[in-house]
Amino acid sequence: MNNRLKVLRAERNWSQAELAERLGVSRQTVNALETGRYDPSLPLAFKIARVFDQAIEAIFSED
Amino acid sequence: MKSARANFLIKVVGGLALLMLCAFIGGGVVGYLSVTNPELDTSSAHIWIIGGIAVALMVGSLAVGAVWMRSIDEAAREAHKAAWYWGGSGGMAVGGVFAILATLPAAAQWNIPSMLPERTDPAVYAATGAFGLMTLMIIGYTIVWAWWWLARR
Repeated sequence: MNNRLKVLRAERNWSQAELAERLGVSRQTVNALETGRYDPSLPLAFKIARVFDQAIEAIFSED
Repeated sequence: MKSARANFLIKVVGGLALLMLCAFIGGGVVGYLSVTNPELDTSSAHIWIIGGIAVALMVGSLAVGAVWMRSIDEAAREAHKAAWYWGGSGGMAVGGVFAILATLPAAAQWNIPSMLPERTDPAVYAATGAFGLMTLMIIGYTIVWAWWWLARR
C-alpha cells in the first residue's frame, strides 16, 4: 500500500517524533509507515486521517 | 505514552517488591518453624513456599507482560507477534530435533551436561531440557524481532 504520510508531514514541518506523539505511536512506527513497509490498522488509519484532516483514501492508495 | 511507561515501571517495581516481601516473610516463617520445632520436617514447607513464589513469579510475569503489551503501539505489538510465532516456533523446531535425538538408544551413552553440575537426577535433567528449549525459543524470538524492525527501517 502507498501513502502520502511523508509529504503531508513535510507540509506541516513536523518531525517524525512530533507526528508519532500526535498519533500516540513510536517514531519507529512512523518511519515504518512512511517507508510503506508497515500498513496501519483501520483505527490507526482513521487517526492518521484525523491528524492530517484528510480522508483515508486521500492518504492511502493501493499499489 | 510517558505516563503509561511510568505506570508500567511502577507496576513492575511494585510487583517485584511485593514478591520479595512474600519471599522474605516465607523464609522467615520457615526459619521460625525450624528453630521452634526442631522435629518438624521443613523440607515440605520449603517446597510449598518456593513453589508458591515460582507460581507468583510466573503469574506476575504474565500480568506484567499483559500490561506491557497494552502499553506498546500496534507496530511494536506486530513485531512481538511475529517474533512469538516465527521465532518461538523456529526455536521449538530446533529443540524438537534434540528431543527426537534424545529418544535414540545411542543417546543413553551421551554425556549431557546438567544445569546444576552437582546433580544428575531426572528432575534436574527435565529442568535442563525445559530451560534449554526456552533458551532456543528466546534466541529465535530475538532474531525474528530484530529482523522485523530491520526490514521496516
